[in-house]
Amino acid sequence: MKDQITISKNFKLLTYILIGIGVVTFALGFVFDAKRTWANYLLNNYYFLSIAIGAAFFGSIQYITNSGWSAAFKRIPEAMAAYIPFAGIFFLIMFFGMHSIFEWTHDEVLQHDELIQHKSPYLNVPFFFIRVIVFFAAWTILSKVLRKFSLKEDEVGGLHYFHKSELYSKIFIFVIAITFTLFAVDMLLSLDPHWFSTLFAAKSFIAAFLHGSTIIALIVIILNRTGNFDILNRSHLHDFTRYIFMTSIVWGYFNFAEFMLIWYGNIPEETVWFVERWQGAYKILFFANIILNWAIPFFVLMPRKTSRSKLIIFPVIILLMIGQYTELYYIIWPNVVHESKFGLLEIGAFLGYAGIFSLVVSTWLAKASLVPKNHPYLQESLHHHF
Amino acid sequence: MNKDYILGVFKDEESLVSAFDKVKEKGVLPLEVYTPYPVHEILEGMGNKTRITYAAFFYGVFVAIGILSFLTYAASISWSLNYGGKPFNSFPSFIVVTIVATILSITILTLLTFSIRSKIFPGKVPEIYHERATDDRFVMVIDKKSMGANTEAINSIITEYGEIE
Repeated sequence: MKDQITISKNFKLLTYILIGIGVVTFALGFVFDAKRTWANYLLNNYYFLSIAIGAAFFGSIQYITNSGWSAAFKRIPEAMAAYIPFAGIFFLIMFFGMHSIFEWTHDEVLQHDELIQHKSPYLNVPFFFIRVIVFFAAWTILSKVLRKFSLKEDEVGGLHYFHKSELYSKIFIFVIAITFTLFAVDMLLSLDPHWFSTLFAAKSFIAAFLHGSTIIALIVIILNRTGNFDILNRSHLHDFTRYIFMTSIVWGYFNFAEFMLIWYGNIPEETVWFVERWQGAYKILFFANIILNWAIPFFVLMPRKTSRSKLIIFPVIILLMIGQYTELYYIIWPNVVHESKFGLLEIGAFLGYAGIFSLVVSTWLAKASLVPKNHPYLQESLHHHF
Repeated sequence: MNKDYILGVFKDEESLVSAFDKVKEKGVLPLEVYTPYPVHEILEGMGNKTRITYAAFFYGVFVAIGILSFLTYAASISWSLNYGGKPFNSFPSFIVVTIVATILSITILTLLTFSIRSKIFPGKVPEIYHERATDDRFVMVIDKKSMGANTEAINSIITEYGEIE
């Protein structure tokens, strides 16, 4: 088996084409419908960042729990975390679209709205971007440090870098847990500054973990298909689906707990968000979210046999990817675009971002040997069986 | 001690598994194997596939449907009361009760099923083959009748890896 993967020319060409589609879509979008295009921009940025953060979290969890089974796959979360700084640049570019996206940046609203005035010491444009820079700096530095240790371990071996990675992973999960929940509040919850929900940030965080694990499994399966991961066996697949299954249940639980308490409490400040989303296409999306992100993974991945079969996991992964999209669409669209439009703009924007994400991840995957060399649990991982 | 069976007592997992495989090669399946923790090879080798997960799943399905329909019937058909302006059929609030009651019912029903299937009941005299079987020893129980002509061979396999008691 070769150490490093080589990215085929066709694949690179495909990502360039996708990026080209994205660029053209955004250029046309900004000319014809700027508001909707900025909504797309926010959605896709958040979508792929949440996947990268979820993957980084996944990688850290493996170190902390001293997991043996995942040692051979740890390059994939690392490569996905390499997307974080790129997402940071995209989020900074959002500076030019703040007025199209966030209601609380409007001066005339601020003058007449006491609630937004009350929140303005936290929700104002300079502090918003200070937070974005701090969060992205923390994520980038910590993920780069972990990546560096991982590459050093390949050269030197021994337990030194493993223990160091473990320590930094412990720091990293706390940093991610605090900063990413605050980040979700900034980017998604503050779209409707009049709405209150304490569970929202935790739900966004677990959604990131769910979809991050999903994409890791997807990349592993694709690499296995192309003949680069011969070591993948059914026990590994079962462990990947366990992560999907577990986080999907937690997501369903949070989603339901949020909705049920708001429904039961029936306080106008809280129900307003759901009232807006209880009409037209959004009502369908409300149920589609639950079906795609919880019901299908829960019932399909429950039996032992289905959770070990690539043929069954693959469609579930695709449905979960759609699930994260519909969830974000359901959160962002009613507050930014005010009508449920879906067309070529949305598809083109998503394809563009998918192209960038695949290009970054594949480039970083090709930079180091696909299977780490001196990881202390490597042998356990290669012979994983249960 | 009952003399219908022999006991192979091993100190670690590897010797147990090697002895188990060799005994199976002779065409003899041990009556029972006692280990301090689940050993994968033994679970597969004994060939006892548990169906208790299916039982638990179907208990869950029936209990969940039963409780949900009972709550709906009680709250909206039989004795409808107005609680703070909520609709009679307040479905989201039934779900919490359903989940909790389903977990409780699955636990109790599965425990009962397991006890009935393995014939465990309060006051049963425990069958202890070896005093340290649940402690730190791996114990293999082989029926003497099933050994037949292989008695000598099996005895030597066991003494190679452990002891006969």
